[in-house]
Amino acid sequence: MTTTPETLTADVLIVGAGPTGLYGAYYAGFRGLSTIVVDVLPQAGGQVMALYPEKEIRDVAALPSIRGRDFVANLVAQADTYAPTYLLGRQAVSLDHESDEPVVTLDDGTVVRARAVVLTAGIGTPTPRPLEVGAEWLGSGLSYFVIDPAVHADRDVVIVGGGDSALDWADALASIARSVTLVHRRKTFRGHAATLARVQESGTAIHTDTEVVALDGDLAAGVLEKVTLQARSGEQVVVAADHVIAALGFISDLGPLREWGVELSGRSVAVDRAGRTNLPRVYAAGDLTDYDGKVRLMSVGFGEVATAMNHVAVELDPELTLFPGHSTDDAA
Amino acid sequence: MTYVIGANCIDEIDRACVEVCPVDCIYVGGRKSYINENECIDCGACEVECPVDAIFVDRRARKDPELARFLEDSRAFFAEPLPGRAEPIGNPGGAQKLGDLGVDTPFVAAFEA
Repeated sequence: MTTTPETLTADVLIVGAGPTGLYGAYYAGFRGLSTIVVDVLPQAGGQVMALYPEKEIRDVAALPSIRGRDFVANLVAQADTYAPTYLLGRQAVSLDHESDEPVVTLDDGTVVRARAVVLTAGIGTPTPRPLEVGAEWLGSGLSYFVIDPAVHADRDVVIVGGGDSALDWADALASIARSVTLVHRRKTFRGHAATLARVQESGTAIHTDTEVVALDGDLAAGVLEKVTLQARSGEQVVVAADHVIAALGFISDLGPLREWGVELSGRSVAVDRAGRTNLPRVYAAGDLTDYDGKVRLMSVGFGEVATAMNHVAVELDPELTLFPGHSTDDAA
Repeated sequence: MTYVIGANCIDEIDRACVEVCPVDCIYVGGRKSYINENECIDCGACEVECPVDAIFVDRRARKDPELARFLEDSRAFFAEPLPGRAEPIGNPGGAQKLGDLGVDTPFVAAFEA
């Protein structure tokens, strides 16, 4: 399949759709800038949605207590005032400059030409934690995501993990796979109780307190045949498996951003008080950044990204003033 | 700020915390696991997963000498050479690279519940 890489343009590209990036999208719109937001995760909300969507957040001004999921929904609604373009499930892999203007390429080949880039990538790119036994099967029988459920139709599928992803995929594949076996190293599942209940009723074989100890088949031909499971008691059982899907969580690091030439400070990006990095027209805000006295809180990230966006507005149009005016004046 | 693994982990090492840590900052020793305070981002994902309630946030250690000993010991695990090693392990930037270390601080090695 060959497709011509798409080229998109905007005044500002925001890299990272967590709370800081979403508020940045609102703010860019408030300053009259067209905005694209890219995030490697399939949903907006960053760490809040990935780690604690059901927890109450209590340390953001004017919100005495709000569930993580609702907090993110509010940020998205606020940003939507100015209709930013979201490119979710796509990773920004490279950053270059052409005539001093940033050009960012995404992992699907999309090229984004923005007049400025604001990095709000938090703790960086989440990458799947590998299945230690059988990692050599990755790409031929072993995968870390369900991208297209139809691939697993009429197959024997073993899903490994105890969180929401493992349960969601077991639930989704129960009706289309030949068999689904769910394997979790612990006794209890972390994922949503209602999903677990559906999986339990679906005829899925559930093995708790059990680990995968071997993947067997014809590796050269890429044909997986069976998986050996071992219970905590030491008892082993072999199950037929065409596909193994390991949902063992994510580890985050700076990822491709590390190679972009932005000045780093440990695992963070060094910025000045305006949120400028060392690269022209590249700003950063939120948990990603570091400077003397930094405190990593959402409240701080909101202030930083507002500051950065006002400076972006003036850099792109020096006729503008740094102070944006009051949002109460705006009838939009 | 950091989370700290306390006495309940000793001889347990469930690793539920290791699986959920988004920055891979939980290192498995011999009898327990240890959180690297310089790599921890204070997200709290591990605390709720621990089946033996071994994990606490460092702020609690200020009022509790027992917890303070484990906070101090967690720092020592990374800052001082472990038994059989010439150099401290420092801040490796990810536990997966190192694998299980199989060794503890003298405090934990000698700990009797």
